[in-house]
Amino acid sequence: MLRRSFAVALAATTLALSSPVGAAPIHLTDLLGRTVELAKPAERAVVGFYFEELTAAAGADVWDRVVGISRLHWEGWRNASWKRYTAAIPRLASLEDVGSTEANNFSVEKVLALRPDLLILPIWAFEPLGSALAPVEAAGVPILVVDYNAQKLENHLRSTVLLGTVFGRAERAEKLAAEYRAVYEDTIARARRQAGPPPKVYVELAQAGPGTIGNSYKGTMWGAILDQLGAENLANGRLASPWGPLNAEAVIAADPDVVFFAGSSWTNRPEAVRTGFDADPETTRASLRRYVEGRPAWQATKAFRQGRVHAIEHGLCRSLADMAAIQYIAKALWPEAFAEVDPRATLARYYETWLPVRFEGTWFLGLGS
Amino acid sequence: MSANTVVAAWWSLTGRRLAALAALTTFLAAAFVIDLGTGPARLAPGEVVAALFGRAPDPTTVAIVRNIRLPMAIMGLLVGFSLGLSGAVVQTVLANPLASPYTLGLAGAAGFGAALAIVLDLPLPILAEARTALSAFLFAALAAALLLLLGRLRDGRPETLVLAGLAILFLFQALLSLLQYLATPEALSQIVFWLFGSLARANGTKNVILAAILAVALPALMRLAWRLAALRLGEERAAALGARPGALRLEALAWVSAATAAAVAFAGTIGFVGLVAPHLARALVGEDQRYLLPVSGLCGALFLLAASTASRAIVPGSILPIGILTALVGVPFLVGLVLRRERGSLS
Repeated sequence: MLRRSFAVALAATTLALSSPVGAAPIHLTDLLGRTVELAKPAERAVVGFYFEELTAAAGADVWDRVVGISRLHWEGWRNASWKRYTAAIPRLASLEDVGSTEANNFSVEKVLALRPDLLILPIWAFEPLGSALAPVEAAGVPILVVDYNAQKLENHLRSTVLLGTVFGRAERAEKLAAEYRAVYEDTIARARRQAGPPPKVYVELAQAGPGTIGNSYKGTMWGAILDQLGAENLANGRLASPWGPLNAEAVIAADPDVVFFAGSSWTNRPEAVRTGFDADPETTRASLRRYVEGRPAWQATKAFRQGRVHAIEHGLCRSLADMAAIQYIAKALWPEAFAEVDPRATLARYYETWLPVRFEGTWFLGLGS
Repeated sequence: MSANTVVAAWWSLTGRRLAALAALTTFLAAAFVIDLGTGPARLAPGEVVAALFGRAPDPTTVAIVRNIRLPMAIMGLLVGFSLGLSGAVVQTVLANPLASPYTLGLAGAAGFGAALAIVLDLPLPILAEARTALSAFLFAALAAALLLLLGRLRDGRPETLVLAGLAILFLFQALLSLLQYLATPEALSQIVFWLFGSLARANGTKNVILAAILAVALPALMRLAWRLAALRLGEERAAALGARPGALRLEALAWVSAATAAAVAFAGTIGFVGLVAPHLARALVGEDQRYLLPVSGLCGALFLLAASTASRAIVPGSILPIGILTALVGVPFLVGLVLRRERGSLS
């Protein structure tokens, strides 16, 4: 029985692969409103960023159809993720590196030399390159621009569907986008139903140790999430730039109800709050406690007195996994309203359903818990 | 010394200079060819030549050679020449071996102009990139106007010009930092990318504009060469020879500003070319401005082109930022030249 259904599935797959429907040209509009045309699903793509999102949207075997990446953006910036993905998909390590706009070594020539049939770039790489990309377009290689950095639901959903569609996996990507939308909209709706004054929240990048006031975020990264939840972000009105350190005195005087320290698995940052794949709860809690104990003047704030101090993985921002981060922040702000919501389960389910990498580690944790 | 010996010495000097000029041109042509042959695509020389004439069977190879390598190599030549030429004039005019086209704050102003265009993102009916280049050029021109105005107030004295240039540089650096602080993350990455300095954004239009500006500025500066040479003899002697030092400095700087502003607007700030090229040129042909100016331009072109080739050859298959190369090669080179400098040269 099992053997027979497998044979049927195999036959169906073969049919699908050889069917002329799969070879129909694909017309799309990308995140900059550009028209993108592909003769058929991509077979030799070059990918600049959003590697996890691509994997989730198009499936782990999508990497068989990728010939180059901006390696710095994965191996360099998200090393813990890179190690796990290369273990799961060994081909990743042998992909050609086309360089990075952030390191000023993106090579258009290298892209062309790989003879790709698609180039996928985030807005933040596409725009600086400008006319340097003209030879790629002149060579007839379509460029798809996607975006998760703006942290807009619309952009997240459209980018996800596009990433799936260009590899002929529209159905899968649409299912993923729907799942994301459901989690996101439920979280925002619950948060918006909360009566009373919005909780005052302070978020700090906990990278350099308690002795250094790290960046806070206004309207971007954690700031965007707080705005969407309707919380009062202490950075709003106190920070002139989208990110930067707030004055500690101003934070203490404003008396935040809840404080988040954004951690990660940064190397050579011994005093940072440790979160992510490799962090067990004890490690995260101890690193968070060092931050709390290292800030004697802050003990008077409501958040510190009541133990409403949390660690959260910084890398969750601007990704599909941010749905779990948004849930976690909402739950930390309004515990009763989110009593039955389990952000860790959301993240675990995302990994188990869509990604080839096993979910583990500590991604968020409260001092009170 | 008899008349014959003097004439013979003159001939030998001129011969040496012409030989240097010829050698440089040959090196430059070789560097250009090597540059065209270098890149992460690792094309064979035969393929490059075929592609150059549009005869390669593979359209990708043609695209790589004609749309990427050729415009970059030409831009390397033009930007390098502009910076080398400008550097020689600035060092002569300010009587300062540490001066470069960037000393006068033009690059700082261009950087601010570019950043402003990126941050404001005005919905003008021209391409975002042309907007950035135009804004960079306009602010460099504004800084140059400010510099010349301040210079005129004090009769074009070198100290005034250097200090005014420094003030302009610091002003625009501060304004640039402020803009970077206020910029959104996306705008910030664009600004940083622009400031890096790169030949990657080269294309035919930009090269035509650069060449056109050079075609006007080079003859104009060559026309001033005699009087600039007189200036090197000292303020009084120059005046006695009929050159009006203040006016001469300002006119020379106006041409330099145009050439530098165009180079920076298209390629960003690539350091050390305008500083090192004049020293190399001086070692080759001496102080005679008629030779120094074009030779310094050629040295700049050679230096930038070689750095551009090296940036793609040192780590095969990858690209190093060109500004790092020019600095890494430029600094030891400069130190070497300074240590070897003969008495009587520019100090």
